[in-house]
Amino acid sequence: MRTIAHVAVNVFKESVRDKVLYSLVAFATLLIAVSYLIGQLTAGQDVKIIKDLGLAAIATFGLLIAVFIGIGLVWKEVERRSIYGLLSKPIRRHEFILGKYAGLALTLFVNMAMMTVAFYVVLAYMNTQFPAEARSVWPASATDPRMLLAIALIFLELLLVTAIALFFSTFSSPFLSAALTFGLWVVGHFNADLRNFESVVETRTAAHLARALYYVLPNFAAFDVKAQVVHALPVPSAYVATTAAYGIAYIALLLTGAVVIFARRDFK
Amino acid sequence: MKWRMALLCVFLFGAVVGLQALHEQRGGPLVRPVSNLLYVRSPEVMSRMALSYDALLADLYWIRAVQHYGGTRLSVEPDRQYDLLYPLLDLTTSLDPRFNVAYLFGSIFLSEMPPGGPGRPDLAIALLEKGLRAQPARWEFAQAIGFVQYWWRQDYQQAALWFRRASELPQAPDWMAPLAATTLAQGGNRQSSRLLWLHIARTAEVDWYRNEARRRLQQLDAMDQLDLLQRAVDAFRGRQGMAPSSWADLREAGYLRGTPADPTGTPYRLQSGAVMLDPRSRLNPLPVEPPRLR
Amino acid sequence: MDAIRTEALTKHYRVGFWRPRPYVALDSLTLDVGQGEIFGFLGPNGAGKTTTLKLLMQLVYPTSGRAEILGKPVGDVAVRRRIGFLPENPYFYDYLTAEELLQYFAGLFGYGGADRRTRVGTLLDDVGIGAERRLQLRKFSKGMLQRVGIAQAILNDPEVVFFDEPMSGLDPLGRREIRELILRLRDRGCTVFFSSHVLSDAETLCSRVAILAGGRLAALGQLSDLLAFQVRGWELVATGVTAPALDQAKALGHVVQATPLGDRRYALELPLTAPPDRVLAELAARGATLVSLNPLRETLEDYFVRQVAAAPRDRGLEPR
Repeated sequence: MRTIAHVAVNVFKESVRDKVLYSLVAFATLLIAVSYLIGQLTAGQDVKIIKDLGLAAIATFGLLIAVFIGIGLVWKEVERRSIYGLLSKPIRRHEFILGKYAGLALTLFVNMAMMTVAFYVVLAYMNTQFPAEARSVWPASATDPRMLLAIALIFLELLLVTAIALFFSTFSSPFLSAALTFGLWVVGHFNADLRNFESVVETRTAAHLARALYYVLPNFAAFDVKAQVVHALPVPSAYVATTAAYGIAYIALLLTGAVVIFARRDFK
Repeated sequence: MKWRMALLCVFLFGAVVGLQALHEQRGGPLVRPVSNLLYVRSPEVMSRMALSYDALLADLYWIRAVQHYGGTRLSVEPDRQYDLLYPLLDLTTSLDPRFNVAYLFGSIFLSEMPPGGPGRPDLAIALLEKGLRAQPARWEFAQAIGFVQYWWRQDYQQAALWFRRASELPQAPDWMAPLAATTLAQGGNRQSSRLLWLHIARTAEVDWYRNEARRRLQQLDAMDQLDLLQRAVDAFRGRQGMAPSSWADLREAGYLRGTPADPTGTPYRLQSGAVMLDPRSRLNPLPVEPPRLR
Repeated sequence: MDAIRTEALTKHYRVGFWRPRPYVALDSLTLDVGQGEIFGFLGPNGAGKTTTLKLLMQLVYPTSGRAEILGKPVGDVAVRRRIGFLPENPYFYDYLTAEELLQYFAGLFGYGGADRRTRVGTLLDDVGIGAERRLQLRKFSKGMLQRVGIAQAILNDPEVVFFDEPMSGLDPLGRREIRELILRLRDRGCTVFFSSHVLSDAETLCSRVAILAGGRLAALGQLSDLLAFQVRGWELVATGVTAPALDQAKALGHVVQATPLGDRRYALELPLTAPPDRVLAELAARGATLVSLNPLRETLEDYFVRQVAAAPRDRGLEPR
């Protein structure tokens, strides 16, 4: 456990010193700040637009961080051979994998926290710009803490994306890993359509295949409660619990797979 | 060690599938709020924002329009609105004025009565007129306008006028002119409607247009069958003094053989002496017919 | 207990995507290294030296055979606390400084706090990295990286160290430092297992060597046993040698090779058949003066080349 934490801190250090990451985060924060200006363009929908844009920015930039760092996590070490020096130390292979994952999770958490803070700052400012009557019409207050629920689910979704990227990183090159991870993310969002596919396809085998894919492919659409939160609609806690359990189970499955693949690999 | 990992993998996989099943059983993803927002409604603004990507954006709006229609049609909300259908089609055709299938799609599905559509033939005609402004020589648009007038507005004068206009445009098929004449003479007649739909079923290039035509033909057949059945019921009532209570009565009396069913195979219903489609039949709702001219 | 022991250690790779053919990287290597030895693991490029080291570090898994370090099977995590490894052309983490890297590894060993700091500091001094220790590794030259590599290999006061080409990238000063370091390690009781193709280092440092060629063990044993101390000729250095005297000696078959050392001073190689005192007398009669006379023994290089030339070329497995 201590070893895993050690590796994790190292991954975090690497990401903090990575210039690409800085630009991503800076851009995201800037976008959130600028969303205030964009809000001025569509009269009457200001708060909704800022909330939509802010949540979307957090989700998108988080996704980019998760994928672009995730695909290199293992691959870079193997390619550059730094793994030789590391694995000759008293560290087990599974500790290496879990440490890498924990490090990226930590990075993601810190970055998303920064973006969330920027987000709430902008919204708090918005609050001061409107008189009380205008504000009473909004479905939810500008600094509605329930948006944290949406952000928490986004974080869990991105932890799943990270696990996918790490899994691919244990055996394939960054380019292929990125393509596969993005591909799965896109398909995962159309999960509900996959369900409807069944009633539209012509042959029984196609229907069975659609159903099998529906169950097996990661269901990213379930983590998206942004619309609910912005419109102040209820999000049942049972739903959150099921979705969270699903995310954790899937992450565990992917990490186990990554460990199994990595444990028997020859480093030529 | 290896089999322990394998066992763990199997267990986790089972957990994943099980939780997904649980998620579905509880209703799947949370219901989206009803009114979708279209941030930019104005086609002029969108055209300017599109830069050189108009064609691509037109495609995206078209996809969204079809998804919007399909999604609203399939949803289980009691008060579903198709309020974004016209704006989306308007945006599509403003970004790409030659997006012909969008005009034709709008002509059918904008006119469709609720709950199958928004029931706005005026919007359908507006869209088609816009199409004619961009491409004045397309007979399909003129014909489509005539068709909307005929079928949804039952304005046979206007319909005939548009069919005549269509017949004068280049490459119009031979049957347009006779159709114009027939409409003027006998608009609303089931036979002329049947002719109109037959032509469309045979010549339309797009799947859903053809399928729509076939469905309409089935509806007309159903209406003919219902008339026959109603006559039988009335005859029974005249003879026996009371309405038959089920198809079995009519069978025993010799008016029928077997259980009558509509062209999709769903049996007809007999209720208090009136024959009608089963509410679950795909042919619902049947088109409204004006009082006969004769 | 041997420090290192392998039994019929074999590694086959599959090469090729569409129709993979096996490639024999290492064929049934059996050797043992006693504690406190300096063991030289020699061979030409591609002989399988690095493969052997990777098998010992469990970076690759053997196709068959076994290996043990300090009596425990390779891969035992507890043993890794007692060994050190320097990979060939080491690459660590660009974004860390030398200090941070060593602290990272020290943390993995379990050293904490002040102990960690002092240990890292002393180590960096020992390998000759001064103020550069605060620079990120991406700015280090090859030689400096090699020093960092050695530092991380001995960070934990190991009982056995494995060096893969420790001298590569170092200037003569650096090589001397490393040679002295290896000797110091031996004096501390550490077993040193190093692979190299620089034979002079092996000659000066090793007590035992193994020569690997074509994936197979070509020779194993004490240097003194292998080279047999056979005299194969003489080297006679003389001044005042005139050209005609030289030509005559060559014609008689007394001189195999004459290397001019400047100003009529020559180093003459005499075959075994030519008695050196007679050759000297003949040259002295022509006015030459003796400077030195030494027997020529087979060097490790000669032995090496001989063994390697006999090694199999074809590394594929025979078809059944």
